[in-house]
Amino acid sequence: MAVTRLWARLTRLDRAIVLSLLGLCLVGMLRTRSTGPGDWLIVERSGDIVFRARLGSDQSARLSGPIGETLLIVQDGRVRVESSPCRDKVCIGMGEIRFPGELLACVPNRILITIPGVRPEGEVGYDLLSR
Amino acid sequence: MISSAGDPDRLCRTRRRLVLALFAAIAIALHAIEFLLPSPTPWFRLGVANLVALLALFLIDGRAAWSVNLTRIIAGALLLGSFLSPRFFLSLSGGIVATLAMTGSRRLAGERIGPVGVSVLGAVGHTLGQFVCVWFVLIRHDGLWSLLPLLVLFSVGAGLFNGLVASYLIDSLQGHPVFTKAQGDGE
Repeated sequence: MAVTRLWARLTRLDRAIVLSLLGLCLVGMLRTRSTGPGDWLIVERSGDIVFRARLGSDQSARLSGPIGETLLIVQDGRVRVESSPCRDKVCIGMGEIRFPGELLACVPNRILITIPGVRPEGEVGYDLLSR
Repeated sequence: MISSAGDPDRLCRTRRRLVLALFAAIAIALHAIEFLLPSPTPWFRLGVANLVALLALFLIDGRAAWSVNLTRIIAGALLLGSFLSPRFFLSLSGGIVATLAMTGSRRLAGERIGPVGVSVLGAVGHTLGQFVCVWFVLIRHDGLWSLLPLLVLFSVGAGLFNGLVASYLIDSLQGHPVFTKAQGDGE
């Protein structure tokens, strides 16, 4: 009842704007999910890429950072941090990632694990200008 | 030429200045109060200060909306101590795009667009303006793009709320002699 009264305050164009923007958001959210799992993971330490791996093959990696070693596990196409020398273990609490755009970060150990978008060979898409 | 309070032109301009000063003051106060309120995330704010710009746009004109918002952003930043900090530039870029979207849509669509539509466009414009600023100045990370739909969704919600409040306020303020006489005389 109250909602219809509020809705009546909108002009036809207002309604079109609201609905189309909501639609766009929905499409955008579905698109980011429907890209499927990623192929690669990259590990950056203080901005430099220190490790790269395919998500397809199960493996583990020890990454050394300023405060010690972070143990990374790749299993069934997912990445997680198994152990970390940091105090709060936020990186372990971030769980597993598998989709492009997702990331795991251990700020105390300066380690950033990301799954890049679908680009060949996991190259980071910086252009001349942004570098 | 000697002009007195009886000069209708001068009276009109003075009235307009007074109304704008009042609007800007209310906007700055809302801006500051909102800054003090706890917020679930640093990203999400309702932007109630934009309400005043909406009132200015609908009751006076587009130039009034620009003066209210720009004054609010600059004076608000001075008040909160964030002037020329990254936060200020985020606020400024968001504010400029938002005001552009609001005045532009009102100019293009005229009476066909109401306060809610303008407000929603302004809120989304604010988010996009901030997003572009973040993208170019602070962080350039692909993960940011997956955040965009969510941010736009929040801003549509905030815009709806502000727009509805503004539409009630406009209904009750419209026809007040201050606004009918502050109109038309672009300063």
